[in-house]
Amino acid sequence: MKTNSSRKVSFDDLIACASCDWLHYRTIIERGSRASCARCGHELYTRKPFSIDRTLAASIAGVVFLLLSLFLPFLSLARGGISSSISVLDAVGALWFSDMRWLGLMSLGMIAFIPMMRLCLLVWVMFRLRYRLGIIPSMRTAMRWAERLEPWAMAEIFMVGVVVSLVKISDLATLTVGPAFWALLGLIITTSFISIFYCKDSVWQLLTTHSA
Amino acid sequence: MAIADNTLGVTAQQAGLARCDYCGALHRLPAAEDCRLCGAYVSGRKRNSLQRTWAFLIVGVMAYIPANLYPIMITKSFSGNTSDTILSGVIALAQSGSMFVAIVVFVASVVIPVAKFVIIVGLALSLHFRWNMSEHTRHVLHTITEFIGRWSMIDVFVVAVLAALIQLGAILTIEPGAGINAFALSVVFTMFSATSLDPRLIWDGVEHGE
Repeated sequence: MKTNSSRKVSFDDLIACASCDWLHYRTIIERGSRASCARCGHELYTRKPFSIDRTLAASIAGVVFLLLSLFLPFLSLARGGISSSISVLDAVGALWFSDMRWLGLMSLGMIAFIPMMRLCLLVWVMFRLRYRLGIIPSMRTAMRWAERLEPWAMAEIFMVGVVVSLVKISDLATLTVGPAFWALLGLIITTSFISIFYCKDSVWQLLTTHSA
Repeated sequence: MAIADNTLGVTAQQAGLARCDYCGALHRLPAAEDCRLCGAYVSGRKRNSLQRTWAFLIVGVMAYIPANLYPIMITKSFSGNTSDTILSGVIALAQSGSMFVAIVVFVASVVIPVAKFVIIVGLALSLHFRWNMSEHTRHVLHTITEFIGRWSMIDVFVVAVLAALIQLGAILTIEPGAGINAFALSVVFTMFSATSLDPRLIWDGVEHGE
C-alpha cells in the first residue's frame, strides 16, 4: 500500500474514476476481482484471469463469424414460385439503391465495417501483447479506436431487427434462415465474450508502462 | 466486488489533475493537451459538454418529428400501395397477433427515444439549475441513456431487411420511406447527445453546498 503520505506519490500510483473523477490509490487486487469507485460505484479496474489469451481467441473467432455472416446467404423467401435470397450486404444495398445513400453507408458501417475494424484492431494488439512482440505507439492508437468504435458496432441490434422482420412477413411467404444467420448469432456471442474477458485497465497498464 | 477504501477524498480535478478519457493516465492541470501515453486529447472535463448535449439533443428531437409523420416503409402490391409509419407498423404487428414483437418495436422506436429525450433534458436542466437531486439517481439515469440509445436502430434494420428481401416484382415490393431517414438521424444525434454529457459534471456539484 502506498498510503504513506510522506512518500512522493507518482501519477502511476493513482487512478481517477472515469465516471465521477474521484481519486484513488491503486492497490493490488485479487485475481478475478474488481475494484469499484468508493463514491459512485463505477468500475475502476479489474484483474481478469488470462484476459489477453481469451480476448485474442474471442476476437479471432469474431472475425471469422463476421466474414461468414457478411457473404453467405442470410434469409431466403419463397412465394408463388418466386424465391429470393439475401445476404447482409444486400440489405445494405437495398437502402443504397432506394436513394438512401447515406443511410445505406451508415448501416454498412454499423453492421460490417465498424465491427470488423474493431475486431481487427483487438486481434492485432492482443496478438502483439500475447507473443511479446514489443509495445509500439500505434498499439495505443489502435486500442483508443477500438474503444471509441464500440457503441457504433451494432451487429446484435441488426439481429433483433432481422427477427422482427421475420415475424412481420411470416404470413406473407415461406422463410428460411441461411448459414449467415447462425454466423451472426455466433458473432454476437463472441462479442459478449470479448466484453467479459477484456480487462481494459490491465491492457492500458501494459501498453503504457513498458515504454514512456 | 471490492470497494476501494483507499481514496484521497478529492476529485482528480481538485487535486490539480486531469484524467485521460481513454488510457486513464493523469495529467497536471491545465491539461488541454494530447495524452503523453496514448495521444488522446486530455481536458479533464469534456469540452462545452452541456452546450453540445443541447445542440445534439435539439437536432435529435427535431428529426424525430418527421420520423413519425412520414412513412418509414411503402408496400407495393397489385392490390395497391400501403405505407406504414412507425406507429401504424406497431399497430399492424399487434393486430396480426404478434404482441411480443409489437412491444419490442414499440419500446425500441417510441419508448426508448422519448425516454432518452426526457432523461437528457432532465439531466441537463438539473446541471444548469443545480437541482437538489441525488447524484446516484442521476448517475444511474446517465448510464441508462448511454446504454439503451443504440437499440432504437432496430426499426432501421427492419426496413433495410424487408426492402432487400421483398422484391417480388409486381406481386409484392417493399421500399424504404422517407421517415426512416429522419428516424436514423434522430437516433444518431441523441447518441451523440448522450455521450457529450459528461457524467463528472453531475458529481462536481456535490462540493458546492448541498
